[in-house]
Amino acid sequence: MGIILSLLIAAVVGGVSFGYRTRRHAAFGAGLGLLGGSVILAAMGFCMFDAEAESTEAVLGVTLAAAFAWMFGAGSRAVLDQSGDGKAGGGFGDSEIRTGAYRLGWWWPWLLLSPTLIILVFFLYWPAIQTFRLSTKLTRLGAPRQAERCLGNFSELLVPNPFLVAALPLAAIGVMWGIGLWHRRANPDTWSFGVARTLRPFGIVFLLLALYFIFENENGGYRQIYLNTLIISVGTVALSMIFGLGLAYLSYQHIRGITVYRTLLIWPYAISPPIAGILFFMMFNATGGVVAAVASRWGIDLPDYTQNASLARFTIILASVWKLLGYNLLFFLAGLQTVPRDQIEAAALDGANAWQRFRRIVLPALGPIGFFLLITNLTYSFFDVYGTIDFLTKGAPAGATSVAIYELIRVGVDNGDLGRGAAQSVVLFLAVIGLTAWQFKQSEGRINYGGA
Amino acid sequence: MKRLLGLLAILAMLVAACSSGDSDDGPAATAEDPATIQMWIAFTDDARLGFAEDRAAEFNTNHPEYTVEVTAFDSYNTVFEQAQLAIDEGNPPEIIHFFEAATQEALDAVDADGNPIFKSVTEALDGRTEVLGEPVVLDDVVSAATKYYTIDDQLYSMPWNTSSTTMFSNMGILEAAGISEPPATWAEVEAACEAIMALPDAPSEGCITWPNHGWFYEQSLGQMGADLVNNGNGRDARATEIFLDSPEALSYMQWWSDLEQSGHYVYTGTQRDWDGSSAAFQAQNVAMLIFSSSDTTALTQAGVDNGFDVRSSYMPYNQDMSYEGNLIGGATLWMSNGLNTAEEDGALGFLNYFSNPDNAASWHQLTGYIPITNAAVSQLEGAGWYDESPNSAVASNQLDDAADTPASTGAFVGNFVAIRDVVTAAAEDILVNDVDVKERMGSAQTEAQQLLDDYNELYGE
Repeated sequence: MGIILSLLIAAVVGGVSFGYRTRRHAAFGAGLGLLGGSVILAAMGFCMFDAEAESTEAVLGVTLAAAFAWMFGAGSRAVLDQSGDGKAGGGFGDSEIRTGAYRLGWWWPWLLLSPTLIILVFFLYWPAIQTFRLSTKLTRLGAPRQAERCLGNFSELLVPNPFLVAALPLAAIGVMWGIGLWHRRANPDTWSFGVARTLRPFGIVFLLLALYFIFENENGGYRQIYLNTLIISVGTVALSMIFGLGLAYLSYQHIRGITVYRTLLIWPYAISPPIAGILFFMMFNATGGVVAAVASRWGIDLPDYTQNASLARFTIILASVWKLLGYNLLFFLAGLQTVPRDQIEAAALDGANAWQRFRRIVLPALGPIGFFLLITNLTYSFFDVYGTIDFLTKGAPAGATSVAIYELIRVGVDNGDLGRGAAQSVVLFLAVIGLTAWQFKQSEGRINYGGA
Repeated sequence: MKRLLGLLAILAMLVAACSSGDSDDGPAATAEDPATIQMWIAFTDDARLGFAEDRAAEFNTNHPEYTVEVTAFDSYNTVFEQAQLAIDEGNPPEIIHFFEAATQEALDAVDADGNPIFKSVTEALDGRTEVLGEPVVLDDVVSAATKYYTIDDQLYSMPWNTSSTTMFSNMGILEAAGISEPPATWAEVEAACEAIMALPDAPSEGCITWPNHGWFYEQSLGQMGADLVNNGNGRDARATEIFLDSPEALSYMQWWSDLEQSGHYVYTGTQRDWDGSSAAFQAQNVAMLIFSSSDTTALTQAGVDNGFDVRSSYMPYNQDMSYEGNLIGGATLWMSNGLNTAEEDGALGFLNYFSNPDNAASWHQLTGYIPITNAAVSQLEGAGWYDESPNSAVASNQLDDAADTPASTGAFVGNFVAIRDVVTAAAEDILVNDVDVKERMGSAQTEAQQLLDDYNELYGE
């Protein structure tokens, strides 16, 4: 029953993602979807539909089948577009190109690529596949045997209600899709287009909200981890980019000794995240901290940041922002040098004030750098923040600063529960992939890389 | 732009210089080179790592045919993890330092071929009274450690650093509040705290603190005679059920929570915060500290340095329950399985040299861990050490006073590290978020039982 349903869904997803311009296209896409869905389900032995499996596991199984169907469908479409339909063109197969390399044979570029490919396969793809495999097991280092968990390591992160798990993300995706459709269909001159355009970037909020409600909320549940990760990453990325840009703009002015200021501002970048943790610990620690000591001399009794969830999160954000600031500043400074001076001068002559010049010329020119920083900062706040947290709060108070990477290292490494740790790292992996893909989609056509 | 790039390059070099950690594990012992004995320990501080290195150097001088090499790791978990990886590669260290809570896991762990990764030290000694001329001291280990670590009538590993939980009081503050002896029971602690916090110059942070570590919870259960797990606290057979929310456990959590609510207990804010709680006591920001006896020497000295009298006493107990006494904590030295005779003798010889009466006594004096053999105890008594330093006798006496019951001996249970995490997380929730003790411990119980079930699914018969 579950198998039939998931394969049906896989076929539909395959057809949609491949493209259904003609009946033959649709049938081929459905076939691809069916193949993708059944490959992954068969590889796992259809375990999620067993009688003893949790019902949320079945929901996850259907999702998995649909995801693979989509990958097969959209992947094949991309390959076909590249090589035949003449839409994109310009790949290796392009017949016009007759450069030297091709006279040596088709294998020549592959040979040159092989060192990179070998490294990628052994150090990236193989461990990644192992992580996926581990995430379906219960296993420990040194254990005489393993136990199969199917999707249990994932389903226990979610609320034990299969209908909620299925319906909420679907509803959110529906809303996102609906807004997108509205945006595309609305007449650009009407107010409704304006509303749709403003709403479009907020579609993700519905998805984030849906995810919040499907993560388990009982003690030790994943919902708190999810919330912490969201607050700390958004806070870190937003503040570090805003302050980074602000400082870069200020230190781009021509003032005497500006190179000294710049060098001093970039400093924190050279310091590793755990050191940032120790520094802020030394400053804000309630017992022997510098800030507390100075404040108490002035008669101010500072609250202990480890006792208050908001303060603790803010301290982590502050330490991470401070750490990222130098890095962002460096790139924004480099970016500012590419802003065309003549345009700024022209704008100034036309009577644009400083803010208008910044908003209309500098900011758009910084788009590519900003987008790059958005991705790297997000990666930092998802992964590298571990060292800071470990030295500053260790997840306190009561888990309020335990983010996804901190929790997965606690479970997988400190407690030796490799399967659960792997499952959590898959969740984090999907989150990063998803967010990056969303950002790429959002920035489509908005970021001007200059040139032709 | 050029200058910026130059700056970038310098920064990159700096970062690379800072992050290039030393991952050198030293030369490995192979079959052709039986002389090298690798010892992996979990102490990185100068005092304790230095002690091990000095003993190794002495042993190497006395036995030129052997080279004992000490490698330090930052935690017990790291040592164990690294050792298991080394075992899988067929190149294990001969001696591995591992802590009491993971005894069950050390016994259960197997290599890729399904053989146990450690060999019983008793079995390897096979009744010998000396190895390489070093007298065997394994049979002289004090009863508290023997009692805890004996499995199937033998010691699988050589006990080393062994401590108990003791209380340290700032007698200056206590006497100012009219208290002449450190409180012995929970009720006395409450009364003392009332008096201390009523002082005009009461300690700035509060009255008492101790780290939020599962060990203190286990100690309190042991005192009240409550088993942590079934099957004779995991000693008659593999533990299958855990009792995190027993009435005894709830009484301890409730007392702790009430003490925090009244402002007497100071929570430093992070779990397992040994340094933070010790610092609060040393700065005289709290009057009393429940801690590991392993720091007796350092804490007493800190009092001398900062001008206050530190008195060590037994860990306070619940006066409304029976008292069975406290258990040990610490770690032992395990010997790898599958060594050849020469390697095994080298390892055994060093282990017995390492804890010979002189060395065991100086280890105790250096730290506050109990003297691990009876001979070391008599030697210290003979030298008048305990008269000179009465605080140092407290841990040994507390352990000797404990009843010989499973509860006061301590539990053997798989996945203990993760189970301790569940306890500390629940405690933190109770202390910080003021949640209901019974409810919170109930959900901790469910979580911990799941961890134990998982463990037994992998290791159980």
